[in-house]
Amino acid sequence: MTCLLCQQPLTTKLTLAWVLSWQALPRPVVCDTCWHRFRPIESATACPTCGRAQAQRQVCQDCRQWPTEPRFYNQALFTYNDAMQAYFKAYKFGGDFRLRTVFQNVIQQRLAQLSGDLVVAIPVNPSTMQTRGFNQVTGWLSHGENTSLLKTKASHKAVGQAAKNRQDRLLTTQPFQLATSTPALTEQTVILVDDVYTTGRTIRYAAAELLENGAKAVIWLTLAR
Amino acid sequence: MQATELYGRQILLTPTEAVALPPGTQQLPAMTVTPQLVQCRRCGSVLDRQLAQLPHQQFYCYQCLTLGRVSTLTSLYHLPEPNHFSKRPELTWTGQLTATQTACATQIKQAFIRHDRHLLWAVTGAGKTEMLFPGLAWALQHGLRVAVASPRVDVCLELAPRLQAAFATTTVAVLHGRQPEPYQYQQLTVCTTHQLLRFRAAFDVLIIDEVDAFPFAANPRLYYAVEQALKPTGALLYLTATPSTALLQQVRQKKLTISYLPLRFHRHLLPTIQVTLAPKWLAKLQRGQLIRPLQRWLAAYATSGQRFLVFVPRISQLAKVQAAIQQAQPTLIGLTVHAADPDRLTKVQQMRQAQVQYLVTTTILERGVTFPGIDVIVLGADDPVFSTAALVQIAGRVGRSKQRPTGAVRMIGASHSRRLKQAQRQIKLVNRKGRRLLNDMSTLSATTND
Ligand SMILES: [Zn+2]
Ligand SMILES: [Zn+2]
Ligand SMILES: [Zn+2]
Repeated sequence: MTCLLCQQPLTTKLTLAWVLSWQALPRPVVCDTCWHRFRPIESATACPTCGRAQAQRQVCQDCRQWPTEPRFYNQALFTYNDAMQAYFKAYKFGGDFRLRTVFQNVIQQRLAQLSGDLVVAIPVNPSTMQTRGFNQVTGWLSHGENTSLLKTKASHKAVGQAAKNRQDRLLTTQPFQLATSTPALTEQTVILVDDVYTTGRTIRYAAAELLENGAKAVIWLTLAR
Repeated sequence: MQATELYGRQILLTPTEAVALPPGTQQLPAMTVTPQLVQCRRCGSVLDRQLAQLPHQQFYCYQCLTLGRVSTLTSLYHLPEPNHFSKRPELTWTGQLTATQTACATQIKQAFIRHDRHLLWAVTGAGKTEMLFPGLAWALQHGLRVAVASPRVDVCLELAPRLQAAFATTTVAVLHGRQPEPYQYQQLTVCTTHQLLRFRAAFDVLIIDEVDAFPFAANPRLYYAVEQALKPTGALLYLTATPSTALLQQVRQKKLTISYLPLRFHRHLLPTIQVTLAPKWLAKLQRGQLIRPLQRWLAAYATSGQRFLVFVPRISQLAKVQAAIQQAQPTLIGLTVHAADPDRLTKVQQMRQAQVQYLVTTTILERGVTFPGIDVIVLGADDPVFSTAALVQIAGRVGRSKQRPTGAVRMIGASHSRRLKQAQRQIKLVNRKGRRLLNDMSTLSATTND
């Protein structure tokens, strides 16, 4: 076994936790050095709205631009640093689907802690699905299919987020609509999962669509902020 | 897309990219997927079905991602190599080959003419590049497409300007992962063996330099790349100082012919490896101590001022070894360095300028980094990080200068490993051939003097 990120051989250290655990803990797929390059966000002091890492718990500068909406807030697991950028480059853009396993456990663990009724992944648009072959978010949750309660509207132009400037991104119109076979959202707490929180625009649109259709609350969970 | 971009190439495109292709372009499947097998058609890797799986019964190759992802959602596009070269490049190099180099150069040229597959086993420091020139000149004159490839980028970077200077009237195309410039169709290409994966039946003559630089995992893909990139009738030349057993096996099976250049430019034999067995060297080091023989050598170095390199298997051992040397011989001044050391270049420079007497290191440093008149000590020479090829290369650091064509190569290990024995055997074999050649040459000069 070699580390999925640096290809160095993985030395399996038998930790006490491993030995004492009743069921086998998931085998690590990356080495300690690579793993420690990712910076977990301390949720006690993160921005209560977008989940950004901060010294003190308060609504951050970015979030003050948005109208307050008490029914949704974001949780982010890691700071978007160089290591995370390299990860997304290899996973999303390089298309190395094996890398989904790097964060599968942490994301699924956090999902289990959040008490939601329904988990919804942000979909990728069909042309991306055609070339990339997988949805990076459902890769962490299940098998990478582009199945979601939400779908991207056919009319929505397939322009990558990175290609647009911030202003353009803020002006984009609602790109999502509910899939036809959606179960009733009434009184449901929905956990909406996305890869990176950048402007918050995409995820706000998705949340709005869910709330308008009866969801009680929407918690966003993103891997990086 | 230009036709020249596809001549002798296999270019990966998605359906949306594969538009406006030149007439005659062939579309080839990028992967083979059967119930028994998932294989990449670009790099040849047989893949683990589970790991290679994408949703919806699609597959991808995780072995050659750095060249862009091959998947069942893509295809490879190819045009047969037409050898459309208008000029006939001349050899502009005016240097002289020694008698032994000339003999080798002639053999190489003959191998090209006969479309042979040939292995040239030349000792480190023999001057291989110049021996290629007559053969290359012949091939280019005859309108053949030629590539010189190496697994190592640094070897390519060193070769390219020398070939460009030797064939000044033509443009040498250079391809490697760190290269930002776009691909150009040229008669003479210098590239990494990794880049060969983008070629298909392109080259009439293909030369692989330092083929054994990566003796482990890279090899099956390397040989696959070579077979893909070479025309079925093409000539193939492997150059190496330390042939792997896989290559020597091909020689035994008569799939490769072989010739030797067993002497360095100064006509001295390679220094042989002296092995010292010391099962406790590592345990002692942990306590900050060095084994007796090592202490004796260091004492001698402290008196003589002789410069030396100490190789260790792990980065974590560097500081310990230096501290122990410091303890044993406080007058010896040295530095530690490893491949990822940010101060590597300055430290190497300090060693070259003799500001320090020794380096403790984990790597054989760049090719071309030589310290004239050096001695070498390897600690933990039986550790698997030191392949046979690496041990031969390390030994080859010694005796490079005309002033001190010999020197000591001392290897300390807990056991006399197979790799260590093989390295000793390789050096012995080359030296035996070298001795014979020296004899022949002395009889030859004796007769010509008559
Ligand atoms: Zn790693
Ligand atoms: Zn915020
Ligand atoms: Zn491949």
